[in-house]
Amino acid sequence: MLEQSTSHIGKFWEVYQKQDRNKIEEFTKYMDKFAVNFNLYKDGNFIERSLPFDVVPRIIGASEFNKMDRGLSQRVKALNLFLEDLYTDQKIVKAGIIPSEFIYQAKGFLKELVGHSPSKKIRTHINGIDLVKDTVTDDWIILEDNLRVPSGASYPLSIRDTYRKIYPEFFENLKIEPIKQYPQLIKESMDYVNCGGINVVLTPGRYNSAYYEHSYLAETSNALLVRNHELVVKDKVVYFKNYDGKLIKVGAVYRRLDDEFLDPNFFNPESLIGVPGIMEAYLAGNVALLNAPGNGVADDKGIYYFVPQMIKFYLGEEALLRNAPTYLPYFADDMKYMMENMEKLVIKDVAEAGGYGVMFGHSMSKIQLEDLKTIIKANPRRFIAQELVEFYDEECYINDKLVPRKADFRAYVVMAEEPKVWKCGLTRYAMEAGNYLVNSSQGGGFKDTWVMGE
Amino acid sequence: MTQLITANAATNLYWLGRYLERIEASLIDINRAYDNIIDVDQNEGVALFEKLGIDIEYTNSSEFLNVAIFGDHAANLFDLLSCARENAIVARSYIEAEAFGSIIELHQHFETAQKNNFYIDFRFVDTAMSLISEIWGELTRKQTRNLHDYFMAMGKNVEKVDMSLRIGRDKEFALIVMKEIDTIVSILAPNASFKPHDLNESDEVILASINNKINKIITE
Repeated sequence: MLEQSTSHIGKFWEVYQKQDRNKIEEFTKYMDKFAVNFNLYKDGNFIERSLPFDVVPRIIGASEFNKMDRGLSQRVKALNLFLEDLYTDQKIVKAGIIPSEFIYQAKGFLKELVGHSPSKKIRTHINGIDLVKDTVTDDWIILEDNLRVPSGASYPLSIRDTYRKIYPEFFENLKIEPIKQYPQLIKESMDYVNCGGINVVLTPGRYNSAYYEHSYLAETSNALLVRNHELVVKDKVVYFKNYDGKLIKVGAVYRRLDDEFLDPNFFNPESLIGVPGIMEAYLAGNVALLNAPGNGVADDKGIYYFVPQMIKFYLGEEALLRNAPTYLPYFADDMKYMMENMEKLVIKDVAEAGGYGVMFGHSMSKIQLEDLKTIIKANPRRFIAQELVEFYDEECYINDKLVPRKADFRAYVVMAEEPKVWKCGLTRYAMEAGNYLVNSSQGGGFKDTWVMGE
Repeated sequence: MTQLITANAATNLYWLGRYLERIEASLIDINRAYDNIIDVDQNEGVALFEKLGIDIEYTNSSEFLNVAIFGDHAANLFDLLSCARENAIVARSYIEAEAFGSIIELHQHFETAQKNNFYIDFRFVDTAMSLISEIWGELTRKQTRNLHDYFMAMGKNVEKVDMSLRIGRDKEFALIVMKEIDTIVSILAPNASFKPHDLNESDEVILASINNKINKIITE
């Protein structure tokens, strides 16, 4: 189902009709030339592929985006306060808002970090919040918070760059918010928490799925792109190793690897991509890590359920953006509801991400549903269930035809002193009609998002 | 402020400069041989590849082009270009965006021909040469030089010396380029000292001196 056309969308098609259709080919060629890649590992093989993209943008009006902006800022502020509280006073647990089991059993909770406050008490520096627009209420609904290592921001930056070159007419005739400030937001965030020294982007390396993005963001935010062995830790201080062997102090690390692999001395000893000793430097307050280790507990799918209550607890406000109706089998009433309505729910494994571990009740057989019920009863903390949100499709130009495809939206909220919402985001669409999974790792494509000026 | 670059990025830029130079120099030689094979000397291609220690066989000028560029031998230009592309991807944050794009485009040009088994002709070589010229232009059109530009420039010059000595083209020319290399080395490693070379030195001594210089500059 497509959203009702707005004056902005009408204006887009008006300009679009006047364009030379052959330019689409030029557009594709330009994107290929700059190797906008999302690498995949399939059956143990490394596959380098261009991320599929679409030339028809998602268009969001100014007042609609401003409303979303307020809701996202509120949410990220609350999540940051939650994390700070959780690793220090744990007031929210003591107040009985979140059952302690949900914290201590969360995979992302790192008990080793209890008692530590990071630089400026900021933990949620760069956040990717996934939303969809509900066809019933016309509201934006939060599906997921990504507070660890959210990726994808470089793709809209690249497609916008291409768009402006190939189709300047749109930007001359429509009031589209510019988006080039994103790397500057990243830089501000790094500078704000920097503990003295240079900024670096730590990448797992060339064969990571998002290496293109790591390289792009390092270049544009004026940070150095490094791999683990290009950083050394001495006396709890992190240094960058220059080509000539000189050591330069590092003040902030925008790390693009998960907690588990960050430091083999502290986390997984078998990690080959981590920096030995970096956690010791972090805990000594000598380096800032973006995002803070231990954030995984806040983007846990089980904790998601409690975010509206967190907002109330920390900010004394009602949540401006709604969650999708969610059920936790941990609570008896929710378990009962789930068991009775499994075929119409979406069941998610809280330990999975990237579209993995998502099961749609309506597409499962009776035997599969019964098996799943048994598994859920045995592991109530491992699953959540959500009502299937019917969200809008976006028009996509696929195989020379305009077709509707399910599309979500990842908003980026970057935090320095205050959270700032980037006036763009990653719109991801499913390649096949009717598919609800839009993740890049599930073969989805992306398109530009135009936020219109006032 | 001191300009910073990792040893890995520096090494990749250096090799990018080398591979691009090697591909360009090879294309020039191949093009010249191709031209002569048509109606001057049918064996010119064989002689060219003999200098590289490679035996090739062909029956006419077109076949020579295909064997020279895509043949199953160590000087296969598509393989060299794949290495250059890899260097460019790793060191992407230090390369001008346009130059990076042109490297990808050049690789796609070769890849399309290789994948589709195109029988390439002079137009393929012309397009490749134009793209390489664009890349060099895009890499050098800035008004200021960054530290990382010198690593690529060094790679380009080292390859010039290497090709000159290996193909036995011109030792005098190689020594002139060596002076340019020394200038770059003095920028990248200000404390390094070295003695000038002369025509009496063997090729091996000159090539060994280059390796010493590189080891002085990049500390892994």
